[in-house]
Amino acid sequence: MSASKQAHESASYHVTGQAKYIDDMPMQGGLHGLIYTSPHAHANIQHYDLSKAQAMPGVYAVLSHQDIKGENNVGPVIHDEPTLAVDTVNCVGQAIFLIAADTPAAARAAAEAIEIEYELLPATLTLKEAIENGELLHPARKIARGDLSEGFAASEHTLEGSLTTGAQEHWYLETQVALCVPGEGDEMKVYSSTQHPSETQALVAEALDVPKMEVNVVLRRMGGAFGGKETQANNVAVCAALLAQATKKPVKIRLFRDDDQITTGKRHPFQIDYKVGFDSAGNIHAIDCTLHANAGWSTDLTMAVLERGMMHADNSYYIPHMQIKGKAWKTNTASNTAFRGFGGPQGVAGMEEIIDRVAHFLNEDGAVVRQRNFYGTDTKNLTPYDQKVENNHLQKLFDELTEDADYENRRKAIDGFNARNRFMKKGMALTPVKFGISFTTSFLNQAGALVNVYKDGSITVNHGGTEMGQGLHTKIRGIAAKEFGVTEQRIKVTATDTSKVPNTSATAASAGTDLNGMAVKNAIDTIKARLFAFAADYFSGNFDGEPSLEKNLVLAEDVLSDSLHPDRCLSFEALVMQCYLNQISLSSTGFYRTPDIHFDREKGKGKPYHYFAFGMAITEVLLDTLTGHVQIERADILHDVGDSVNERIDIGQVEGAYMQGVGWCTTEDCKWNDEGHLLNHSPDTYKIPSINDMPKVFNVALLKGVPNPDTIRKSKAVAEPPFMHGLSCWLAVKDAISAVCGHQIAPKLNIPATNEAILLSLDAILQSQKTVAQQEA
Amino acid sequence: MGNNCISFYLNQTPTTVDFDKDPFKPTTTVLEYLRAVGLTGTKEGCAEGDCGACTVALSDVGEDPSVYRSYTSCLLFLAKLEGRHLVTVEGVANGSQLHPVQEAMIAKDGSQCGYCTPGFIMSLFVLYNQKEKVKEEDISDALVGNLCRCTGYKAIVESAVSSCLNQTKTLNAEKSGSNGKAMPKAVSRNIQTKEDFYAMPTTIAEAVHYRSKWPEAKLIGGASDLALLITKKHIPLPQVIDLSRIKELQHIEVQEEAIHIGAAVSLEKIRTTLNRQLPELVDTMSVFGSRQIREAATLGGNIGSASPIGDSLPTLMTYGAILEITNDKCEIRNEPLEAFVTGYRATTLAPDELITKVVVPINSQPNVHIKWYKVSKRKDLDISTVSGGFRLELDGDYVKKIRLYYGGMAAMTSRARKTETALLGKKWSSEEVIVEAVKQMAEDFTPISDARAGKEARMLMAQNLLWKFWDETVSNSLALKN
Repeated sequence: MSASKQAHESASYHVTGQAKYIDDMPMQGGLHGLIYTSPHAHANIQHYDLSKAQAMPGVYAVLSHQDIKGENNVGPVIHDEPTLAVDTVNCVGQAIFLIAADTPAAARAAAEAIEIEYELLPATLTLKEAIENGELLHPARKIARGDLSEGFAASEHTLEGSLTTGAQEHWYLETQVALCVPGEGDEMKVYSSTQHPSETQALVAEALDVPKMEVNVVLRRMGGAFGGKETQANNVAVCAALLAQATKKPVKIRLFRDDDQITTGKRHPFQIDYKVGFDSAGNIHAIDCTLHANAGWSTDLTMAVLERGMMHADNSYYIPHMQIKGKAWKTNTASNTAFRGFGGPQGVAGMEEIIDRVAHFLNEDGAVVRQRNFYGTDTKNLTPYDQKVENNHLQKLFDELTEDADYENRRKAIDGFNARNRFMKKGMALTPVKFGISFTTSFLNQAGALVNVYKDGSITVNHGGTEMGQGLHTKIRGIAAKEFGVTEQRIKVTATDTSKVPNTSATAASAGTDLNGMAVKNAIDTIKARLFAFAADYFSGNFDGEPSLEKNLVLAEDVLSDSLHPDRCLSFEALVMQCYLNQISLSSTGFYRTPDIHFDREKGKGKPYHYFAFGMAITEVLLDTLTGHVQIERADILHDVGDSVNERIDIGQVEGAYMQGVGWCTTEDCKWNDEGHLLNHSPDTYKIPSINDMPKVFNVALLKGVPNPDTIRKSKAVAEPPFMHGLSCWLAVKDAISAVCGHQIAPKLNIPATNEAILLSLDAILQSQKTVAQQEA
Repeated sequence: MGNNCISFYLNQTPTTVDFDKDPFKPTTTVLEYLRAVGLTGTKEGCAEGDCGACTVALSDVGEDPSVYRSYTSCLLFLAKLEGRHLVTVEGVANGSQLHPVQEAMIAKDGSQCGYCTPGFIMSLFVLYNQKEKVKEEDISDALVGNLCRCTGYKAIVESAVSSCLNQTKTLNAEKSGSNGKAMPKAVSRNIQTKEDFYAMPTTIAEAVHYRSKWPEAKLIGGASDLALLITKKHIPLPQVIDLSRIKELQHIEVQEEAIHIGAAVSLEKIRTTLNRQLPELVDTMSVFGSRQIREAATLGGNIGSASPIGDSLPTLMTYGAILEITNDKCEIRNEPLEAFVTGYRATTLAPDELITKVVVPINSQPNVHIKWYKVSKRKDLDISTVSGGFRLELDGDYVKKIRLYYGGMAAMTSRARKTETALLGKKWSSEEVIVEAVKQMAEDFTPISDARAGKEARMLMAQNLLWKFWDETVSNSLALKN
């Protein structure tokens, strides 16, 4: 059956301003919450006095950690993150006190009136310092396969180096927000812009010291999330809940943009140290690499991010002898967190840096060297963690994309252009991606659903996933309609609600549709079985002749019929009403767990992923070598989503992911000053791509004819994998830089390749050319 | 209706705000107002005019009521609505009939999370309603002030192409829910409540009168810069003189030798009118903020703020711009812009004075080359890291006179004097001359490191801009040889 052609289920609400977000909800008699945060990166709290603040007009509560009834911790995996600081503060922006007041201005005035004294402590602000100081967050991890010494011995050449990748701010348009409304007794209704309502529920319950049954988390939609609301939405929700509990009034906390950028974590900055061994034909034999992640001040999801980084350090290439070490380091900065790709982009970036250098060293086209090292189908198909790469589409992607993009001819044209132009240079790069789908913590791969059919034949579908713009509800609606055999208009996917579907996992790891789609199917299958059993009896009783058999019944386009007796049919409405009258349940839960996945962390071996998603991108840039300005001339992307559930949604995901990846690779730059204050704390200086940064020619297509076995409607996850296509832009820039010296000197270019980084990279080439010239003279 | 009221159309509804009774100040932002009265379609994304999620459309006082301009409502003061027609995302559709830009955004998948969408809808609505036929370049120009984090923009551009491209004005009126409302002529207004004074004079004489009477009052044009004090720093502006209703300050007079630009002329108006006469100034404006910011921002305001970067300042200085300044006795003095700016956000403007005009001489000498360049992290909607305005007068192939004005290299727009000296009298086409001259730049400037770039990169940028100027005037190798 063909894919859904429906637009985003909320599109008409989006364009008319009717779509409601949490900050749009009326809050009669409610209070505005404010989180008072640390101005210091590392300090002891010596003394504080809240009495003046508490006495301010319009102020209802000023809370410290001492006022928390339950647990003072929001650490999601490891409980190492106090909700409110106790004795020490560990980063600028760490929460210390909470204020509730009748207006935001009154809350700010109260914050001014808080007296607090600190004793400053030495702070570790960069990954480099943390490595030097040996401030490991948790023991190092390792994944290895083969024998490095053998691998390097077989290599004609070795190269060593290091790549750093920068922090990336999520820049969801809707900042972190939660509205908590106290009810009867201990009840707390929490409207939270969260990717993980069940965890928000759990942490709120723990903080309030009430059972989870008292806490109901509801979310209709988020204004963007990208991983930034997987764990860190919890902080705001817990803080608002504490204030609501203390004041017995509704309390809303919405972070001001700058506060959001300062206090919430970002994509982990990484440093990837590597040594690679290869032969003159461009075959890579051995890689020894270490991934260093800047965790920030607490664990958050860092170890899982690091793990995914390590599992993607091979990207799409078979490396016979490979050792990947992973180390997470503690710094006095905001705790870094999930961000689309979840460490994968950093791991892939390291591998792409390596293969780019190999190609440059051999003076070969990067695409050719990449293709030579792709995972094979029958051989050379085992990852360093021993999962077999099945249904590998890399070669198909390569063949189709290089042809569609006219790669070879354009490469020649670029060389010609660069020979004719002195200050303007063009560059082009191809990058593949192979991305593992599933939470690497295997038990998280479960989902629930609740499907209700009403007497009029309308249907609500509830599932544990959250809508953040990615079109999950749209896809689920399409899946539900197809699985049921009814029209989409009949179905409404309702707000995520912990009282309807409990104990869910975060909407993350790109797995929202895979997991929840299957759970919804499971619920629908249950209801359909009941409908069919009833209908078989009903037809048999009401029509003469052979009885109707369930196996011959078909529900399609709102009509249930017996395929052997076309006259035996019931409209969906009539069927539902008959079932109701005959006391048949029209509601069911559904459940799904991903089969056959496991991973042994100690050994670094297993089958952590249900499957891999593949994709490939070619980007061509025009670089002004005097200003460092980059224009993307053309981008061609071919991406594998199996059989698409909804092509419109999937294409939008790929386009958006690419641009977000381009932002990470180019203009999105976080700098901190010597005191640990983030300098780029607003869009004034933090630059995500604008409409003019879009490629002048932007071709995005989905790979056809590649159904994915054993997933919902043979589809594949999308969300994260296409983010890594942005790396082709970074390497295209590097290629353009390299053109200033006729590709004789390998440029050094970290991520992000800001115009500043580009100019410094160009200058380094110029200086080394000068040195060579002087030596020759 | 009391003296301290303003009236305007809010979508289709005649609306009055009484500053004595209603919980709003004249300087309450329109965004805050809209959300307070329950029109929550307009979103706050950044509260600094950098994301466009709060974009609204506004007709101009006394102008064609069906022509709208886009503004970021987070930086727009409520008092500015007096006598105008405000259209928000809730007012774009005609009842249940969606506007073509809304239909296109659905059909082309222009929304994902939807939070930026109302802002895009309003920018598209303004584009759709523009007087001139919509050309392709108008699309990115209209939308560059709206950030989207989900779509990668392609679907939004396609929405704009399908709904607006080649669209002409005549079709529009009936399709729009918010047909333009005829507005009364501007009259002088003062709002004076217990806490606030907000003057909206209509003549220079009135304005300078208020200036002497309320010496503490802040002068604003569009307030796109000063509004940040309220939205970002929560510093109230209890006394304001709003110059945006003074017709005399809004003229652009094209004379033979020079262009006379009223201090309250918007940067967008400069961009759209002076391409022939002042191409470098128009170039400057085309990458100055966004459409929303340029509609609000005025040339006088940009000069008066005397920012160390001040995108327009290096350009205006290369043209040799002269300011006309009026005092409370309506006496006029003229001062070269270069002398007017004295330091970091410091000028010679006296407390009783007002910038009333900017006189920009037209360069018609073929041996004088004027160029302006900007380096910023992102091309659009980004303040320069370094900008350079250069003026070169050649005698044959030799440098007769040269002025190199830089923004972002010091506390104020500054000349690279030692570099200039190194070039004076030299053969301009000689590459060696530039190689030597740029070395002087390190003597001219000690740039700082900040959020935008480090000092090393700043120095490279400053040097490279001179290379760019040289290249463009000598070999023109920057013109792409495909």
